[in-house]
Amino acid sequence: MIWIILILTGIGLVCGVLIFVVNKVLPPEPEALQKAEKINKKLPGMNCGACGLPGCFAYAQALAKDKNTFFSNTCATVLQNREMLEDLEKILDIKVDTSAMNKRAVVCCTGGCGYIAKYDGINSCNTASKLLAGPKKCPYGCLGLGDCLNICPQHAIRIDKDMNVAVIDPSKCIGCGLCVKECPRNIIKLVPADAKVVFRCSYDSLRDIPGREKCDYGCLHCRQCFKACENEAIVWNKEKAIPEFDYSKCNECGACIEACPHNKLILFKDLIPKKEKVKVK
Amino acid sequence: MNNLITIFVVMAIVNNLVISKFLGLCPFFGVSKKLSNAVSMGIAVTLVMLLASLATSIINQFILIPYNVEFMNIVIYILVIASLVQIVELAIRRTNISLYNALGIYLPLITTNCAVLGITLINANEGYSILESVVSALGGGIGFTLVLVIMSGIREKIDLGETPRSMRGLPIAFIIAALLALAFTGFSGMM
Repeated sequence: MIWIILILTGIGLVCGVLIFVVNKVLPPEPEALQKAEKINKKLPGMNCGACGLPGCFAYAQALAKDKNTFFSNTCATVLQNREMLEDLEKILDIKVDTSAMNKRAVVCCTGGCGYIAKYDGINSCNTASKLLAGPKKCPYGCLGLGDCLNICPQHAIRIDKDMNVAVIDPSKCIGCGLCVKECPRNIIKLVPADAKVVFRCSYDSLRDIPGREKCDYGCLHCRQCFKACENEAIVWNKEKAIPEFDYSKCNECGACIEACPHNKLILFKDLIPKKEKVKVK
Repeated sequence: MNNLITIFVVMAIVNNLVISKFLGLCPFFGVSKKLSNAVSMGIAVTLVMLLASLATSIINQFILIPYNVEFMNIVIYILVIASLVQIVELAIRRTNISLYNALGIYLPLITTNCAVLGITLINANEGYSILESVVSALGGGIGFTLVLVIMSGIREKIDLGETPRSMRGLPIAFIIAALLALAFTGFSGMM
């Protein structure tokens, strides 16, 4: 019995000492890896892949090679975190303008259009959207099956059960863009973090699907919002027939929100009412 | 000498670790997409198998058997293999960056690779001496590399062809592996 303990301890000690000795004897890490290790310590370590590179260490290696990778492949988590951003700015010797780069994701659909059939299949938006343009009445809107919810690394998305639509909490969203890529209908859009009003409809007359009507509450292209704005903050996109915003002129007066007959516009800060704070699973 | 050659051929082809014993399937499916990656992985695994076999057979002969604690061999082998792989990874990281980047996650994966533990336990079960263990590990490693190279060659070719969309990637790889295993049963019963 005593021999087992002694043998195990002995072999463990020998292995440990061997690793220590090898570590000391080998030449030091090559320059590139040393720098990558230092950078890696300042990264969040979530390995979410939103930057486009496979994992945080690969991102650190890319940054070590070329510091401007931060601008072409931004790590959204670092961008939100003031301390991490300052540390990284110091190590990489770069200047980051957060106000210009910060983005939030918004689901451009309010749901509530109802179903034309019961969907009995794999519980995924990507699958459901391929079957006859989806089980919901509107073929352009959100299916509410949660592909975006599953991929969000910040757990910022929840599904509204009444309207069967996904809602993204702007206070938790970091704008990494993973949900944008995941949505099979491309209705999630990235808006600047300081956006004031958002337009939530994805009906696009350019992509008409024959035989399928759009939602009863969809955008009517009536231009009431455009007419209601007194600060010229709304620009009318003629091709798509939807409003677009110039946030520098918007003063959040809410005139456009009241003018819309189908409630497609909403103040960004009202997207998640303060009362119902979402609990993270 | 005859005995050694027999052991070598048996471990490499007749009792091939991947195809006949189904050990080490993770790197088999994960690294076999490109031929160059497959070769580097095979060499790394062979190296680890050789060192692990040498160390574990020495420990078995001089420590475990004299003190009648052969039943501890699984725990002790895992300890030794984990340390060995850590050392190999350190060595590759410090000396050859491109190889380190090419292997990526697979180097630490060799630690938990059942093929390496499998070969050491096979050596213990068959009661091989130290020299026989090393030869058997060499055979095992070379057999692993052989099958990995064959698989990556086939997969590279298949990628160029027209596979049904739902079969692309892993599904067709499994089917290829099954056909390869079927082919290798032709060697069974030999020796």
